[in-house]
Amino acid sequence: MNASVQAQANGAAGKSVINAKGLSKTFGGGAVVALNDANFEIRPGSFVSLVGPSGCGKSTLLRLIAGLIDRTNGELAVHGRDVTGPRTDVGMMFQKATLLEWRTAVENVLLPTEMAGTVTKADRKNAADLLRMVGLKDFLFAFPSQLSGGMQQRVALARLLQTGADVLLLDEPFGALDEFTRERLNVELMRIVGEVKATTLFVTHNIAEAIFLADQVFVMTPRPGQIASIVDVPFERPRPLSIQTSPEFNTLVAQVRDILGEDH
Amino acid sequence: MAAQDTMTEGLSARSGGLSLRQRRTLLHALIFFTLIGLWEAGARLGLLDPLFYPRPTSILNSFYLIYIKNGNVWFNLYATMSLVIAGWIGGSILGVGLGALVGFNAVVRRFLKPYVIVLEATPRIAVAPLLIAALGFGASSKIAIIVLVCFFAPFINTLSGVVNVNEDKLELFRSLRATKMQVLRKLVLPDAIPVIMAGERLALTAALSGALVAEFIQRDQGMGALILVYTRNLNMASSFACIFTLTILGFLIFKGMEWVDHHIAYWKNEAGMKRIGDRRRRQFGAQVGE
Repeated sequence: MNASVQAQANGAAGKSVINAKGLSKTFGGGAVVALNDANFEIRPGSFVSLVGPSGCGKSTLLRLIAGLIDRTNGELAVHGRDVTGPRTDVGMMFQKATLLEWRTAVENVLLPTEMAGTVTKADRKNAADLLRMVGLKDFLFAFPSQLSGGMQQRVALARLLQTGADVLLLDEPFGALDEFTRERLNVELMRIVGEVKATTLFVTHNIAEAIFLADQVFVMTPRPGQIASIVDVPFERPRPLSIQTSPEFNTLVAQVRDILGEDH
Repeated sequence: MAAQDTMTEGLSARSGGLSLRQRRTLLHALIFFTLIGLWEAGARLGLLDPLFYPRPTSILNSFYLIYIKNGNVWFNLYATMSLVIAGWIGGSILGVGLGALVGFNAVVRRFLKPYVIVLEATPRIAVAPLLIAALGFGASSKIAIIVLVCFFAPFINTLSGVVNVNEDKLELFRSLRATKMQVLRKLVLPDAIPVIMAGERLALTAALSGALVAEFIQRDQGMGALILVYTRNLNMASSFACIFTLTILGFLIFKGMEWVDHHIAYWKNEAGMKRIGDRRRRQFGAQVGE
């Protein structure tokens, strides 16, 4: 109760979307520290990448914000409200597309709406428009098994946007795709989250990808999982792919690599 | 070069312009009728004991007798099939219902598991005489035997289908704040349908065997009783006609279930996806601006 009041005060004062103070998560009765003492504020509409090797707590942090797991210690608030479970203003996308095989693309996108209530004509129109936005205008009534891996992730992205959440959590969403598809989808993701003005947290283990997409990169290290450093990325969004060859970009890559140390 | 040309021409001329498929069918028919012919010849020449290997022509004649001249097969076929259907429906309801109940409830699952293992290890047909003793002769004990032999596949398949729900999908539903009922209706049940259908297919085949065993024991009516009567009278040709009738029946049941499966688990085949995809487009196409 006390923590929640505190968090609300923080949120109101800081004008930030997500606030974390001393946020920790341990598993197995404290045996494994998945995330240790995370402190941060995330501004509305910003894009944050979480980068680091396996076991650095990046997925744990995302799942804490999604309300899928409970924190062990500290404070965590979204929109100034204490996080106690999954909620409608926070949406999550996973590494696997996790589409329902028995539903067409449109019906998959409509799933979040069905959970919340009845589906209206406007909802269906919206779902179809989102599919067009992610480049699937010809596949509205295709089934998941008829779509490629990249297209399935596009459907999953449309479904995430259909939730109407303004905090989007993406857990290595394109990690299982080939390099070319991934790059293309990254560029589109940047455009789309810019269009819908969502606050985005993006988990990856690819340093260049993390920097290319984000305003801020949370560099995370394992044992115990923690945020070692927060690196600001000064480039305007959206950015062209070619930015990755600029000297400034490579300086940032070197900086992040340095923080990660021998681990990476 | 020229020689080769004439050779290929010669080949295609000899195959009479038939497609590969037609030639295969022809070959199959040829082999089949050769075998039947050998059987017939062997029986006529006294190489095959007519008691065990009646001549194919006699079997054909028996088909004529039992289907048309006497027409006595129809009633028995009807008797057997109504048992099969009734027992199968009963076994399915019991199997799917119990499977879902046990699947959803971890406590029930833990306490029921040893009994399930014992039941699985017991040849269920062995219980048939006990069921007759308990329920008496007649349809009810026959149906009970069929229920018993065909209940297991739907039960186990429903159970595993319900228990083995994809973890990622469950997490997705959790992140969307789905209620228990929504998880059940929109995830668990549709996800389990293909494996439940596979169980139903096995159950229907088992139901046919169960019905025959029940009729062997009770000997009053049905295909099982008919086969018994013919065999006892050493009318092997008619027994064979009955057995082949059951072969055809089993095949039709299999095909029928395949058809039903294709329609219910439509997302498992291209034709089904096309059909439902087109239907959705007709339903919602206008609403989504297509």
